[in-house]
Amino acid sequence: MGKLTEMKQHYEEIPIPGELALRVQQEIAKSRNRQSQREFHRLRYARAMRAMGTAAAAVVLVFTMALNTVPVFAVEAARLPVIGGLARVLTFRAYETEQNDIAVSVEIPSIEMIAQDTGIRVDGINQEILDRCSRYVQQALARAEDYRTAFLETGGTPEEWAAHNIKITVDYEILRQDDSYLSFAVRGSENWSGAGNETRYYNLDLTSGKEVTLRDLLGDDYENLANESIRGQIAEREQAGMVFFPEDAGGFSGISEDTQFYINANHNPVIVFAKYEIANGAAGEIEFEIGG
Amino acid sequence: MNQKLYDNLIRYILDHQERFYRLAYSYTRNQEDALDVVQNAVCRALEAYGSIRNPDAIHTWFYRILTNECLRLLKTRKKDARTADLEEADAVYYEQAYHRENVDEELDRLEPEVQTIIRLRFFEEMSLKEIAEITGCNVNTVKTRLYRGLKQLKETMEEAALWVN
Repeated sequence: MGKLTEMKQHYEEIPIPGELALRVQQEIAKSRNRQSQREFHRLRYARAMRAMGTAAAAVVLVFTMALNTVPVFAVEAARLPVIGGLARVLTFRAYETEQNDIAVSVEIPSIEMIAQDTGIRVDGINQEILDRCSRYVQQALARAEDYRTAFLETGGTPEEWAAHNIKITVDYEILRQDDSYLSFAVRGSENWSGAGNETRYYNLDLTSGKEVTLRDLLGDDYENLANESIRGQIAEREQAGMVFFPEDAGGFSGISEDTQFYINANHNPVIVFAKYEIANGAAGEIEFEIGG
Repeated sequence: MNQKLYDNLIRYILDHQERFYRLAYSYTRNQEDALDVVQNAVCRALEAYGSIRNPDAIHTWFYRILTNECLRLLKTRKKDARTADLEEADAVYYEQAYHRENVDEELDRLEPEVQTIIRLRFFEEMSLKEIAEITGCNVNTVKTRLYRGLKQLKETMEEAALWVN
């Protein structure tokens, strides 16, 4: 008998221990577990993103119809604690997800009209808020994924990446809510870079249902009024030691249509400049109340 | 994720686990190590199944992982033996072995890459092309190493001829 034949015979006779099947099963079970967890996260994320689109239209529609057709509903809604009696801001959709160690926490607000017969429609503005939030989350996720790819390609390990605790947050803050105005901010932020942060202020006139402009609050000469006021306040604060960028180096050069503001308790507009917009980052957001 | 590919891989593993074990044992000559090798290979395969480009090539793809695990174990063993200076102890062990192990022992003394080719060709009866895919060498290199191995085993050419073609 040749050596190879003898070896092969030995090979075929190698006894199979009972433990083999157990060990293989164990490994398969572990893997299935990991798979289903991954799948769970993926589905939850996909569902949340999809729901944001479809539920938006559906819920706004249902709410509007309910207000107009079922009196009981309006009474029920009015029982909830409300400051002022006309409208309120509610969390329309909240969810948290995580993928590739990028956490996403989202609270999207929407305006609900409580008073009947105002004829005020808030569907448009609600849709705008929803679109803005969805877009922000998508863009922030893309930025985080780019960051992750770059991090891993340059030698970072997945463990080190996880330790970054990357988080994307969308939330809102109610700044003023009374019989005349509803004023709130919707913020998107990324905890790894200030550059991606975004805040949009919404100011609603509850008697007309329209978004309030600076012209509405300050009159036709609003631009000069605001600019003069802001320049004066900058000078005062510089006296007190604050440092602003000079006008020719990206500092304040006058308000524009995009200038953001909210309405305070005095019903005055408070103009807000984002971090880095007119002063260095340490100053954070900078506010100027106009008038009063 | 490709659920079908994943399910196919699991079925393939369950159907062939005894073959995996025999191959692992022929390298390790030890039950515990062979079980570890198979378990590691299964774990790696289930983690990396996404990298299978051709779903029909699960067989060669899995054997590449398995033989790599076997060779890895031999390497760590060699390193351990060097550091612990256990080579003498090994020699004693071999002297006490039965004749039956002596034939296998000759195989174990060949270069690891050559061992792999002989095991896959004769024990697992794979084609030279499949072995080339598993080892990542071209068919000619596989042939050359196979002849070298047979020569070292002083296998008669008649016997070898039954297998080489």
